[in-house]
Amino acid sequence: MIVARELTKTYGTRTAVDGISFTVEPGHVTGFLGPNGAGKSTTMRMVLGPDRPTSGSVTVNGRRYADSPAPLREVGALLEARAVHPGRTARTHLRWLAASNALPASRVDAVLGLVGLEGVADQRVGRFSLGMGQRLGIAVALLGDPGVVVLDEPVNGLDPEGIRWVRTLARQLAAEGRTVFVSSHLMAEMALTADHLVVIGRGRVLADCPTSEFLARHAASHVRVRSPRAAELAALLRRSGPDVTVDGDSGELRVRGLDAAGVGDLAGAHGLILHELTLVQSSLEDAFMTLTADSVEYGAAPAGAAR
Amino acid sequence: MTAAVATRAVAPARSPGFGAVLRAEWIKFWSVRSTTWSVAMLFVLGAGLTVLVCASSAEWLASSEADESPASFVTWGLMIAQVTAVVLGTLVATAEYGTGMIRATLAAVPRRGAVLAAKAVVLTGTLLVAGTVTAFVGYLGGNAFLSAEGIGLSLDDEGVLRALFGSGLYLAGLGLLSMAAGLLIRHTAAALSTVLGLVFVVGNMAFVLPGAWGEWIAKVLPGNAGSVVATPVHFNPSLLEPWAGFALFAAEVAVLLAVAAMAFRRRDA
Repeated sequence: MIVARELTKTYGTRTAVDGISFTVEPGHVTGFLGPNGAGKSTTMRMVLGPDRPTSGSVTVNGRRYADSPAPLREVGALLEARAVHPGRTARTHLRWLAASNALPASRVDAVLGLVGLEGVADQRVGRFSLGMGQRLGIAVALLGDPGVVVLDEPVNGLDPEGIRWVRTLARQLAAEGRTVFVSSHLMAEMALTADHLVVIGRGRVLADCPTSEFLARHAASHVRVRSPRAAELAALLRRSGPDVTVDGDSGELRVRGLDAAGVGDLAGAHGLILHELTLVQSSLEDAFMTLTADSVEYGAAPAGAAR
Repeated sequence: MTAAVATRAVAPARSPGFGAVLRAEWIKFWSVRSTTWSVAMLFVLGAGLTVLVCASSAEWLASSEADESPASFVTWGLMIAQVTAVVLGTLVATAEYGTGMIRATLAAVPRRGAVLAAKAVVLTGTLLVAGTVTAFVGYLGGNAFLSAEGIGLSLDDEGVLRALFGSGLYLAGLGLLSMAAGLLIRHTAAALSTVLGLVFVVGNMAFVLPGAWGEWIAKVLPGNAGSVVATPVHFNPSLLEPWAGFALFAAEVAVLLAVAAMAFRRRDA
Protein backbone atom coordinates (compact mmCIF):
# COMPACT_ATOMS: atom_id res chain seq x y z
CA MET A 1 0.00 0.00 0.00
CA ILE A 2 1.22 3.46 -0.91
CA VAL A 3 -0.04 6.44 1.06
CA ALA A 4 0.76 10.02 0.02
CA ARG A 5 -0.20 12.88 2.29
CA GLU A 6 -0.06 16.52 1.21
CA LEU A 7 2.89 15.64 -1.00
CA THR A 8 4.51 18.76 -2.43
CA LYS A 9 7.55 19.34 -4.60
CA THR A 10 8.76 22.71 -5.72
CA TYR A 11 11.71 23.51 -7.97
CA GLY A 12 12.62 27.11 -7.25
CA THR A 13 9.39 28.98 -7.82
CA ARG A 14 7.78 26.28 -9.92
CA THR A 15 5.48 23.89 -8.09
CA ALA A 16 5.56 20.50 -9.78
CA VAL A 17 3.42 18.67 -7.25
CA ASP A 18 1.03 20.71 -5.16
CA GLY A 19 -0.10 19.04 -1.94
CA ILE A 20 -1.50 15.83 -3.35
CA SER A 21 -2.92 13.03 -1.22
CA PHE A 22 -3.91 9.57 -2.39
CA THR A 23 -3.83 5.94 -1.36
CA VAL A 24 -2.89 3.02 -3.58
CA GLU A 25 -4.50 -0.18 -2.31
CA PRO A 26 -3.25 -3.74 -2.75
CA GLY A 27 -5.10 -6.11 -5.03
CA HIS A 28 -5.94 -3.43 -7.59
CA VAL A 29 -4.29 -1.75 -10.50
CA THR A 30 -4.32 1.94 -9.72
CA GLY A 31 -3.82 4.16 -12.73
CA PHE A 32 -2.00 7.43 -12.28
CA LEU A 33 -3.18 9.61 -15.07
CA GLY A 34 -2.29 13.07 -16.22
CA PRO A 35 -0.98 14.97 -19.21
CA ASN A 36 2.76 15.29 -19.74
CA GLY A 37 4.24 17.61 -17.16
CA ALA A 38 1.38 17.08 -14.70
CA GLY A 39 3.76 15.84 -12.02
CA LYS A 40 3.35 12.07 -12.41
CA SER A 41 7.01 11.20 -12.66
CA THR A 42 7.98 13.65 -9.94
CA THR A 43 5.43 12.03 -7.64
CA MET A 44 6.69 8.55 -8.47
CA ARG A 45 10.28 9.61 -7.83
CA MET A 46 9.24 10.90 -4.43
CA VAL A 47 7.60 7.54 -3.67
CA LEU A 48 10.85 5.77 -4.53
CA GLY A 49 13.24 8.17 -2.85
CA PRO A 50 15.59 9.67 -5.43
CA ASP A 51 13.68 12.94 -5.07
CA ARG A 52 12.72 14.23 -1.66
CA PRO A 53 9.38 15.94 -1.05
CA THR A 54 9.53 19.67 -0.28
CA SER A 55 6.77 18.98 2.23
CA GLY A 56 4.30 16.24 3.00
CA SER A 57 5.06 12.56 3.13
CA VAL A 58 4.68 9.35 1.23
CA THR A 59 4.95 5.90 2.75
CA VAL A 60 5.10 2.42 1.31
CA ASN A 61 3.68 -0.28 3.57
CA GLY A 62 3.68 2.21 6.41
CA ARG A 63 7.22 3.48 6.22
CA ARG A 64 9.38 5.68 4.08
CA TYR A 65 10.89 3.83 1.13
CA ALA A 66 14.37 4.80 2.30
CA ASP A 67 13.77 3.02 5.62
CA SER A 68 12.97 -0.29 3.97
CA PRO A 69 15.60 -2.92 4.88
CA ALA A 70 15.44 -4.61 1.46
CA PRO A 71 13.67 -2.17 -0.85
CA LEU A 72 13.68 -4.32 -3.98
CA ARG A 73 11.82 -7.10 -2.14
CA GLU A 74 9.25 -4.59 -1.02
CA VAL A 75 8.82 -2.26 -4.00
CA GLY A 76 9.71 -2.85 -7.62
CA ALA A 77 9.83 0.16 -9.87
CA LEU A 78 10.15 1.08 -13.49
CA LEU A 79 11.03 4.74 -13.24
CA GLU A 80 12.91 5.34 -16.44
CA ALA A 81 13.43 2.57 -18.90
CA ARG A 82 16.78 4.07 -19.82
CA ALA A 83 18.20 4.22 -16.31
CA VAL A 84 20.79 1.69 -17.47
CA HIS A 85 24.41 2.12 -18.50
CA PRO A 86 24.35 1.43 -22.27
CA GLY A 87 27.60 -0.50 -22.05
CA ARG A 88 26.28 -3.07 -19.61
CA THR A 89 24.40 -6.19 -20.66
CA ALA A 90 20.86 -6.82 -19.49
CA ARG A 91 22.13 -9.70 -17.37
CA THR A 92 24.86 -7.74 -15.58
CA HIS A 93 22.42 -4.90 -14.95
CA LEU A 94 20.09 -7.32 -13.22
CA ARG A 95 23.00 -9.08 -11.49
CA TRP A 96 24.22 -5.99 -9.70
CA LEU A 97 20.69 -5.07 -8.69
CA ALA A 98 20.15 -8.58 -7.30
CA ALA A 99 23.46 -8.40 -5.43
CA SER A 100 22.56 -5.05 -3.88
CA ASN A 101 19.55 -6.54 -2.13
CA ALA A 102 21.03 -10.00 -1.53
CA LEU A 103 18.50 -11.57 -3.89
CA PRO A 104 19.26 -15.08 -5.17
CA ALA A 105 20.96 -15.08 -8.58
CA SER A 106 18.18 -17.33 -9.86
CA ARG A 107 15.84 -14.30 -9.84
CA VAL A 108 17.88 -12.78 -12.69
CA ASP A 109 17.09 -15.65 -15.04
CA ALA A 110 13.53 -15.82 -13.77
CA VAL A 111 12.72 -12.19 -14.65
CA LEU A 112 14.63 -12.33 -17.93
CA GLY A 113 12.36 -15.21 -18.90
CA LEU A 114 9.28 -13.45 -17.61
CA VAL A 115 9.80 -10.39 -19.83
CA GLY A 116 11.05 -12.41 -22.79
CA LEU A 117 14.60 -11.11 -22.92
CA GLU A 118 16.46 -14.44 -22.44
CA GLY A 119 17.69 -14.34 -26.02
CA VAL A 120 19.34 -10.93 -25.71
CA ALA A 121 20.38 -11.09 -22.05
CA ASP A 122 24.07 -10.88 -22.91
CA GLN A 123 23.78 -8.02 -25.38
CA ARG A 124 24.73 -4.51 -24.42
CA VAL A 125 21.70 -2.50 -23.41
CA GLY A 126 22.79 0.35 -25.70
CA ARG A 127 21.72 -1.78 -28.67
CA PHE A 128 18.23 -2.38 -27.28
CA SER A 129 15.15 -0.95 -28.95
CA LEU A 130 12.85 1.25 -26.91
CA GLY A 131 10.54 -1.70 -26.36
CA MET A 132 13.36 -4.00 -25.21
CA GLY A 133 14.56 -1.30 -22.82
CA GLN A 134 11.06 -1.06 -21.45
CA ARG A 135 10.94 -4.82 -20.93
CA LEU A 136 14.26 -4.69 -19.11
CA GLY A 137 12.85 -1.94 -16.88
CA ILE A 138 9.91 -4.17 -16.03
CA ALA A 139 12.30 -7.05 -15.33
CA VAL A 140 14.08 -4.75 -12.87
CA ALA A 141 10.76 -3.91 -11.22
CA LEU A 142 9.91 -7.58 -10.73
CA LEU A 143 13.40 -8.71 -9.70
CA GLY A 144 12.73 -8.76 -5.96
CA ASP A 145 9.27 -10.34 -6.33
CA PRO A 146 7.90 -7.24 -4.59
CA GLY A 147 4.46 -6.71 -3.07
CA VAL A 148 4.29 -3.20 -4.47
CA VAL A 149 4.96 -2.52 -8.15
CA VAL A 150 5.35 1.03 -9.47
CA LEU A 151 5.47 1.45 -13.25
CA ASP A 152 6.02 4.89 -14.77
CA GLU A 153 4.68 4.97 -18.35
CA PRO A 154 5.34 1.25 -18.91
CA VAL A 155 3.77 1.10 -22.37
CA ASN A 156 5.89 3.90 -23.85
CA GLY A 157 7.59 2.59 -26.94
CA LEU A 158 5.87 -0.78 -26.88
CA ASP A 159 4.13 -2.27 -29.89
CA PRO A 160 0.46 -3.33 -29.58
CA GLU A 161 1.47 -6.83 -28.53
CA GLY A 162 3.75 -5.36 -25.86
CA ILE A 163 1.06 -3.01 -24.64
CA ARG A 164 -1.29 -5.92 -24.20
CA TRP A 165 1.41 -7.86 -22.41
CA VAL A 166 1.94 -5.03 -19.91
CA ARG A 167 -1.81 -4.73 -19.37
CA THR A 168 -2.16 -8.46 -18.69
CA LEU A 169 0.90 -8.45 -16.47
CA ALA A 170 -0.36 -5.51 -14.39
CA ARG A 171 -3.74 -7.16 -13.90
CA GLN A 172 -2.11 -10.46 -13.04
CA LEU A 173 0.17 -8.83 -10.46
CA ALA A 174 -2.83 -7.15 -8.87
CA ALA A 175 -4.77 -10.42 -8.88
CA GLU A 176 -1.89 -11.95 -6.91
CA GLY A 177 -2.64 -9.38 -4.23
CA ARG A 178 0.10 -6.92 -5.06
CA THR A 179 -0.24 -3.17 -5.04
CA VAL A 180 0.13 -1.99 -8.63
CA PHE A 181 0.59 1.70 -9.42
CA VAL A 182 0.85 2.51 -13.12
CA SER A 183 1.20 5.95 -14.64
CA SER A 184 0.19 6.92 -18.12
CA HIS A 185 -0.91 9.85 -20.16
CA LEU A 186 -3.09 7.56 -22.26
CA MET A 187 -6.62 7.53 -20.90
CA ALA A 188 -7.86 4.73 -23.13
CA GLU A 189 -5.06 2.43 -22.03
CA MET A 190 -5.70 3.17 -18.38
CA ALA A 191 -9.43 2.54 -18.76
CA LEU A 192 -8.59 -0.99 -19.87
CA THR A 193 -5.91 -1.63 -17.25
CA ALA A 194 -6.82 0.19 -14.07
CA ASP A 195 -9.50 -0.55 -11.49
CA HIS A 196 -8.96 2.75 -9.81
CA LEU A 197 -7.79 6.10 -11.13
CA VAL A 198 -5.88 8.96 -9.62
CA VAL A 199 -5.96 11.80 -12.14
CA ILE A 200 -3.65 14.75 -11.74
CA GLY A 201 -3.15 17.95 -13.66
CA ARG A 202 -0.77 20.77 -12.84
CA GLY A 203 0.37 18.96 -9.72
CA ARG A 204 -3.09 18.62 -8.18
CA VAL A 205 -5.42 15.65 -7.82
CA LEU A 206 -8.40 16.15 -10.12
CA ALA A 207 -10.06 12.80 -9.50
CA ASP A 208 -9.49 9.81 -7.23
CA CYS A 209 -12.15 7.16 -7.75
CA PRO A 210 -12.88 3.77 -9.29
CA THR A 211 -12.43 3.75 -13.06
CA SER A 212 -16.11 2.91 -13.62
CA GLU A 213 -17.18 5.87 -11.52
CA PHE A 214 -14.76 8.16 -13.33
CA LEU A 215 -16.17 7.06 -16.67
CA ALA A 216 -19.76 7.48 -15.55
CA ARG A 217 -19.04 10.92 -14.21
CA HIS A 218 -16.72 12.34 -16.83
CA ALA A 219 -17.25 10.43 -20.04
CA ALA A 220 -20.29 12.51 -20.92
CA SER A 221 -22.88 11.12 -23.23
CA HIS A 222 -25.81 12.79 -24.91
CA VAL A 223 -28.67 11.89 -27.19
CA ARG A 224 -28.65 13.31 -30.66
CA VAL A 225 -32.13 13.72 -32.03
CA ARG A 226 -33.29 15.14 -35.34
CA SER A 227 -36.84 16.05 -35.96
CA PRO A 228 -38.70 18.29 -38.44
CA ARG A 229 -40.41 19.78 -35.37
CA ALA A 230 -37.27 20.22 -33.35
CA ALA A 231 -38.32 23.47 -31.67
CA GLU A 232 -41.48 21.91 -30.26
CA LEU A 233 -39.57 18.83 -29.11
CA ALA A 234 -36.95 21.02 -27.44
CA ALA A 235 -39.61 22.86 -25.48
CA LEU A 236 -41.19 19.57 -24.39
CA LEU A 237 -37.82 18.16 -23.30
CA ARG A 238 -36.98 21.21 -21.26
CA ARG A 239 -40.24 20.91 -19.40
CA SER A 240 -39.78 17.15 -18.84
CA GLY A 241 -37.36 17.37 -15.96
CA PRO A 242 -35.08 19.67 -14.02
CA ASP A 243 -31.87 17.86 -15.14
CA VAL A 244 -32.66 17.90 -18.83
CA THR A 245 -30.73 20.31 -21.00
CA VAL A 246 -31.17 20.79 -24.71
CA ASP A 247 -29.07 22.65 -27.19
CA GLY A 248 -28.56 22.71 -30.93
CA ASP A 249 -30.58 24.07 -33.80
CA SER A 250 -31.48 23.53 -37.46
CA GLY A 251 -33.43 20.43 -36.60
CA GLU A 252 -30.66 18.67 -34.64
CA LEU A 253 -30.78 18.67 -30.84
CA ARG A 254 -28.28 17.46 -28.24
CA VAL A 255 -30.10 16.24 -25.16
CA ARG A 256 -28.44 15.64 -21.85
CA GLY A 257 -30.06 14.27 -18.72
CA LEU A 258 -32.46 11.97 -20.53
CA ASP A 259 -31.64 8.70 -22.26
CA ALA A 260 -32.62 7.80 -25.82
CA ALA A 261 -35.65 5.80 -24.68
CA GLY A 262 -36.90 8.75 -22.65
CA VAL A 263 -36.57 11.09 -25.61
CA GLY A 264 -38.29 8.61 -27.92
CA ASP A 265 -41.15 8.03 -25.50
CA LEU A 266 -41.70 11.74 -25.06
CA ALA A 267 -41.71 12.37 -28.81
CA GLY A 268 -44.09 9.46 -29.39
CA ALA A 269 -46.51 10.58 -26.70
CA HIS A 270 -46.81 13.92 -28.43
CA GLY A 271 -46.92 12.56 -31.93
CA LEU A 272 -43.63 14.15 -33.00
CA ILE A 273 -41.78 12.51 -35.85
CA LEU A 274 -38.11 11.72 -35.30
CA HIS A 275 -35.57 11.37 -38.09
CA GLU A 276 -32.74 10.32 -35.85
CA LEU A 277 -32.33 9.18 -32.27
CA THR A 278 -28.74 8.33 -31.35
CA LEU A 279 -26.85 7.88 -28.10
CA VAL A 280 -23.51 9.66 -28.48
CA GLN A 281 -20.83 8.52 -26.06
CA SER A 282 -17.92 10.92 -25.91
CA SER A 283 -14.58 9.16 -25.83
CA LEU A 284 -12.53 8.70 -22.69
CA GLU A 285 -9.86 10.84 -24.25
CA ASP A 286 -12.41 13.64 -24.55
CA ALA A 287 -13.35 13.24 -20.90
CA PHE A 288 -9.72 13.30 -19.88
CA MET A 289 -9.00 16.34 -22.04
CA THR A 290 -11.99 18.19 -20.63
CA LEU A 291 -10.95 17.44 -17.08
CA THR A 292 -7.31 18.35 -17.52
CA ALA A 293 -8.06 21.38 -19.69
CA ASP A 294 -10.00 22.75 -16.73
CA SER A 295 -6.94 22.32 -14.57
CA VAL A 296 -4.87 24.25 -17.07
CA GLU A 297 -7.36 27.12 -17.03
CA TYR A 298 -7.53 26.89 -13.29
CA GLY A 299 -3.77 27.18 -13.07
CA ALA A 300 -3.41 30.00 -15.58
CA ALA A 301 -6.05 32.36 -14.21
CA PRO A 302 -4.39 33.32 -10.88
CA ALA A 303 -1.08 33.93 -12.64
CA GLY A 304 -2.72 36.39 -15.02
CA ALA A 305 -4.57 38.08 -12.20
CA ALA A 306 -1.38 38.59 -10.25
CA ARG A 307 0.10 40.81 -12.91
CA MET B 1 -10.15 -10.21 -4.15
CA THR B 2 -9.59 -10.63 -0.43
CA ALA B 3 -8.63 -14.26 -0.95
CA ALA B 4 -6.11 -13.27 -3.58
CA VAL B 5 -4.55 -10.77 -1.20
CA ALA B 6 -4.13 -13.47 1.39
CA THR B 7 -2.45 -15.93 -0.97
CA ARG B 8 0.60 -13.76 -1.49
CA ALA B 9 3.14 -14.59 1.16
CA VAL B 10 5.33 -11.62 1.97
CA ALA B 11 8.96 -12.58 1.63
CA PRO B 12 10.85 -12.19 4.88
CA ALA B 13 12.82 -8.99 4.53
CA ARG B 14 16.39 -9.96 5.28
CA SER B 15 18.25 -6.73 5.40
CA PRO B 16 21.18 -6.83 3.01
CA GLY B 17 24.25 -5.47 4.72
CA PHE B 18 27.13 -3.39 3.45
CA GLY B 19 28.65 -6.50 1.85
CA ALA B 20 25.71 -6.71 -0.55
CA VAL B 21 26.09 -3.06 -1.54
CA LEU B 22 29.80 -3.61 -2.02
CA ARG B 23 29.22 -6.65 -4.25
CA ALA B 24 26.72 -4.65 -6.31
CA GLU B 25 29.17 -1.80 -6.83
CA TRP B 26 31.92 -4.27 -7.66
CA ILE B 27 29.79 -5.90 -10.39
CA LYS B 28 28.81 -2.46 -11.69
CA PHE B 29 32.40 -1.24 -11.72
CA TRP B 30 33.76 -4.18 -13.70
CA SER B 31 30.85 -4.63 -16.08
CA VAL B 32 31.58 -1.54 -18.19
CA ARG B 33 34.35 -1.40 -20.74
CA SER B 34 35.68 1.92 -19.49
CA THR B 35 36.97 0.24 -16.31
CA THR B 36 38.92 -2.46 -18.12
CA TRP B 37 40.28 0.12 -20.52
CA SER B 38 41.29 2.56 -17.81
CA VAL B 39 43.01 -0.08 -15.71
CA ALA B 40 44.77 -1.51 -18.77
CA MET B 41 45.92 1.97 -19.79
CA LEU B 42 47.07 2.65 -16.26
CA PHE B 43 49.30 -0.40 -16.43
CA VAL B 44 50.53 0.14 -19.99
CA LEU B 45 51.34 3.81 -19.45
CA GLY B 46 52.59 3.47 -15.89
CA ALA B 47 54.83 0.46 -16.33
CA GLY B 48 55.54 0.81 -20.05
CA LEU B 49 56.61 4.45 -20.03
CA THR B 50 58.78 3.90 -16.95
CA VAL B 51 60.64 1.11 -18.73
CA LEU B 52 60.88 3.15 -21.93
CA VAL B 53 62.20 6.27 -20.21
CA CYS B 54 64.68 4.30 -18.07
CA ALA B 55 65.91 2.44 -21.15
CA SER B 56 66.44 5.63 -23.12
CA SER B 57 67.97 7.67 -20.27
CA ALA B 58 70.10 5.05 -18.53
CA GLU B 59 73.26 5.89 -20.45
CA TRP B 60 72.86 9.62 -19.88
CA LEU B 61 72.02 9.12 -16.19
CA ALA B 62 75.19 7.09 -15.75
CA SER B 63 77.30 9.76 -17.44
CA SER B 64 78.89 12.74 -15.73
CA GLU B 65 76.55 15.11 -17.56
CA ALA B 66 73.51 13.83 -15.64
CA ASP B 67 71.88 16.47 -13.46
CA GLU B 68 68.98 14.28 -12.34
CA SER B 69 68.89 11.34 -9.96
CA PRO B 70 68.12 7.92 -11.46
CA ALA B 71 65.72 7.56 -8.52
CA SER B 72 63.46 10.14 -10.18
CA PHE B 73 62.98 7.81 -13.16
CA VAL B 74 61.88 4.48 -11.67
CA THR B 75 58.25 5.57 -11.31
CA TRP B 76 58.27 8.03 -14.23
CA GLY B 77 55.30 6.47 -16.07
CA LEU B 78 52.97 7.00 -13.13
CA MET B 79 53.11 10.77 -13.80
CA ILE B 80 51.28 10.07 -17.05
CA ALA B 81 49.25 7.11 -15.83
CA GLN B 82 47.59 9.22 -13.18
CA VAL B 83 45.29 10.53 -15.91
CA THR B 84 43.62 7.12 -16.00
CA ALA B 85 43.00 7.24 -12.25
CA VAL B 86 41.26 10.59 -12.75
CA VAL B 87 39.14 9.13 -15.56
CA LEU B 88 38.22 6.06 -13.54
CA GLY B 89 37.33 8.06 -10.44
CA THR B 90 35.26 10.57 -12.40
CA LEU B 91 33.32 7.91 -14.29
CA VAL B 92 32.42 6.02 -11.12
CA ALA B 93 30.29 9.04 -10.23
CA THR B 94 29.32 10.71 -13.49
CA ALA B 95 28.41 7.58 -15.47
CA GLU B 96 25.53 7.15 -13.02
CA TYR B 97 24.21 10.62 -13.74
CA GLY B 98 24.87 10.58 -17.47
CA THR B 99 22.78 7.45 -17.93
CA GLY B 100 20.13 8.13 -15.29
CA MET B 101 21.32 4.99 -13.54
CA ILE B 102 21.67 6.82 -10.27
CA ARG B 103 17.91 6.46 -9.86
CA ALA B 104 18.14 2.69 -10.18
CA THR B 105 21.06 2.69 -7.78
CA LEU B 106 19.26 4.69 -5.11
CA ALA B 107 16.03 2.75 -5.60
CA ALA B 108 17.97 -0.44 -4.88
CA VAL B 109 19.97 1.06 -2.02
CA PRO B 110 18.31 4.16 -0.55
CA ARG B 111 21.05 4.44 2.07
CA ARG B 112 23.11 6.95 0.15
CA GLY B 113 26.00 6.85 2.59
CA ALA B 114 26.38 3.12 1.96
CA VAL B 115 26.34 3.65 -1.81
CA LEU B 116 29.05 6.26 -1.56
CA ALA B 117 31.18 4.17 0.81
CA ALA B 118 30.89 1.10 -1.43
CA LYS B 119 31.91 3.11 -4.50
CA ALA B 120 34.87 4.56 -2.59
CA VAL B 121 36.02 1.14 -1.38
CA VAL B 122 35.80 -0.45 -4.84
CA LEU B 123 37.58 2.45 -6.51
CA THR B 124 40.27 2.85 -3.85
CA GLY B 125 40.93 -0.88 -3.66
CA THR B 126 41.30 -1.20 -7.41
CA LEU B 127 43.57 1.81 -7.78
CA LEU B 128 45.65 0.85 -4.77
CA VAL B 129 46.34 -2.59 -6.16
CA ALA B 130 46.65 -1.52 -9.81
CA GLY B 131 48.88 1.45 -8.92
CA THR B 132 51.19 -0.57 -6.70
CA VAL B 133 51.47 -3.49 -9.13
CA THR B 134 52.12 -1.09 -12.00
CA ALA B 135 54.80 0.72 -10.02
CA PHE B 136 56.54 -2.56 -9.12
CA VAL B 137 56.48 -3.83 -12.70
CA GLY B 138 57.72 -0.47 -14.00
CA TYR B 139 60.48 -0.41 -11.41
CA LEU B 140 61.59 -3.96 -12.16
CA GLY B 141 61.61 -3.34 -15.91
CA GLY B 142 63.16 0.11 -15.82
CA ASN B 143 65.66 -0.69 -13.13
CA ALA B 144 67.05 -3.53 -15.23
CA PHE B 145 68.30 -0.91 -17.72
CA LEU B 146 69.65 1.28 -14.92
CA SER B 147 71.45 -1.68 -13.35
CA ALA B 148 73.04 -2.47 -16.67
CA GLU B 149 74.67 0.97 -16.46
CA GLY B 150 75.60 0.37 -12.84
CA ILE B 151 73.20 2.93 -11.42
CA GLY B 152 70.37 0.56 -10.44
CA LEU B 153 68.41 1.04 -7.24
CA SER B 154 67.70 -1.77 -4.80
CA LEU B 155 64.39 -2.05 -2.98
CA ASP B 156 66.32 -1.24 0.22
CA ASP B 157 67.47 2.11 -1.12
CA GLU B 158 65.90 5.08 0.54
CA GLY B 159 62.45 5.91 -0.73
CA VAL B 160 62.14 3.08 -3.27
CA LEU B 161 59.62 0.88 -1.45
CA ARG B 162 57.87 4.00 -0.19
CA ALA B 163 57.52 5.25 -3.76
CA LEU B 164 56.21 1.95 -5.09
CA PHE B 165 53.47 1.67 -2.47
CA GLY B 166 53.12 5.44 -2.57
CA SER B 167 52.18 5.19 -6.25
CA GLY B 168 49.20 3.04 -5.32
CA LEU B 169 48.28 5.39 -2.49
CA TYR B 170 48.56 8.50 -4.62
CA LEU B 171 46.47 7.05 -7.47
CA ALA B 172 43.83 5.87 -5.02
CA GLY B 173 43.67 9.35 -3.51
CA LEU B 174 43.50 10.94 -6.92
CA GLY B 175 40.67 8.57 -7.86
CA LEU B 176 38.73 9.57 -4.76
CA LEU B 177 39.33 13.25 -5.47
CA SER B 178 37.96 12.75 -8.99
CA MET B 179 34.98 10.79 -7.70
CA ALA B 180 34.16 13.61 -5.29
CA ALA B 181 34.40 16.13 -8.12
CA GLY B 182 32.21 13.88 -10.26
CA LEU B 183 29.56 13.69 -7.54
CA LEU B 184 29.52 17.46 -7.23
CA ILE B 185 29.64 18.30 -10.94
CA ARG B 186 27.69 15.24 -12.21
CA HIS B 187 28.89 15.73 -15.76
CA THR B 188 31.73 13.63 -17.17
CA ALA B 189 33.40 16.18 -19.43
CA ALA B 190 33.09 19.04 -16.95
CA ALA B 191 34.33 16.97 -14.00
CA LEU B 192 37.23 15.52 -16.01
CA SER B 193 38.38 18.93 -17.23
CA THR B 194 38.15 20.36 -13.74
CA VAL B 195 40.28 17.69 -12.09
CA LEU B 196 42.77 17.35 -14.94
CA GLY B 197 43.03 21.14 -15.11
CA LEU B 198 43.61 21.41 -11.38
CA VAL B 199 46.17 18.61 -11.14
CA PHE B 200 48.12 19.13 -14.37
CA VAL B 201 47.59 22.66 -15.63
CA VAL B 202 47.09 24.71 -12.49
CA GLY B 203 49.49 22.46 -10.59
CA ASN B 204 52.31 23.21 -13.02
CA MET B 205 51.44 26.84 -13.74
CA ALA B 206 51.47 27.64 -10.04
CA PHE B 207 55.26 27.30 -10.01
CA VAL B 208 55.57 30.49 -12.03
CA LEU B 209 53.73 32.46 -9.34
CA PRO B 210 56.13 34.97 -7.81
CA GLY B 211 57.55 34.98 -4.31
CA ALA B 212 57.23 32.78 -1.24
CA TRP B 213 53.46 33.06 -1.44
CA GLY B 214 53.43 31.65 -4.95
CA GLU B 215 55.76 28.83 -3.98
CA TRP B 216 53.50 27.95 -1.07
CA ILE B 217 50.41 27.82 -3.33
CA ALA B 218 52.24 25.50 -5.72
CA LYS B 219 53.28 23.18 -2.88
CA VAL B 220 49.79 22.69 -1.46
CA LEU B 221 47.94 22.03 -4.72
CA PRO B 222 46.72 18.42 -4.56
CA GLY B 223 48.66 17.04 -7.52
CA ASN B 224 51.91 18.57 -6.26
CA ALA B 225 51.46 17.69 -2.60
CA GLY B 226 50.29 14.13 -3.27
CA SER B 227 52.67 13.00 -5.98
CA VAL B 228 55.91 13.41 -4.02
CA VAL B 229 55.24 10.17 -2.17
CA ALA B 230 55.16 8.29 -5.49
CA THR B 231 58.80 9.00 -6.46
CA PRO B 232 61.96 8.04 -4.53
CA VAL B 233 63.49 11.42 -5.42
CA HIS B 234 61.19 14.00 -6.96
CA PHE B 235 62.33 16.08 -9.94
CA ASN B 236 61.21 19.17 -8.10
CA PRO B 237 63.16 19.62 -4.87
CA SER B 238 61.02 22.56 -3.70
CA LEU B 239 57.98 20.35 -2.94
CA LEU B 240 56.88 19.15 0.48
CA GLU B 241 58.42 16.10 2.15
CA PRO B 242 56.81 12.85 0.86
CA TRP B 243 54.67 11.91 3.85
CA ALA B 244 53.89 15.50 4.84
CA GLY B 245 52.77 16.15 1.28
CA PHE B 246 50.70 13.00 1.19
CA ALA B 247 49.07 13.81 4.53
CA LEU B 248 48.07 17.23 3.20
CA PHE B 249 46.80 15.64 -0.03
CA ALA B 250 44.80 13.07 1.94
CA ALA B 251 43.26 15.86 4.00
CA GLU B 252 42.30 17.75 0.85
CA VAL B 253 40.71 14.62 -0.60
CA ALA B 254 38.87 14.00 2.67
CA VAL B 255 37.47 17.54 2.74
CA LEU B 256 36.26 17.42 -0.86
CA LEU B 257 34.81 13.95 -0.30
CA ALA B 258 32.96 15.17 2.79
CA VAL B 259 31.48 18.07 0.83
CA ALA B 260 30.51 15.71 -2.00
CA ALA B 261 28.97 13.24 0.45
CA MET B 262 26.92 15.99 2.04
CA ALA B 263 25.69 17.15 -1.36
CA PHE B 264 25.00 13.56 -2.44
CA ARG B 265 22.85 12.93 0.62
CA ARG B 266 20.89 16.13 0.28
CA ARG B 267 20.36 16.68 -3.41
CA ASP B 268 17.74 14.97 -5.53
CA ALA B 269 19.24 12.36 -7.76
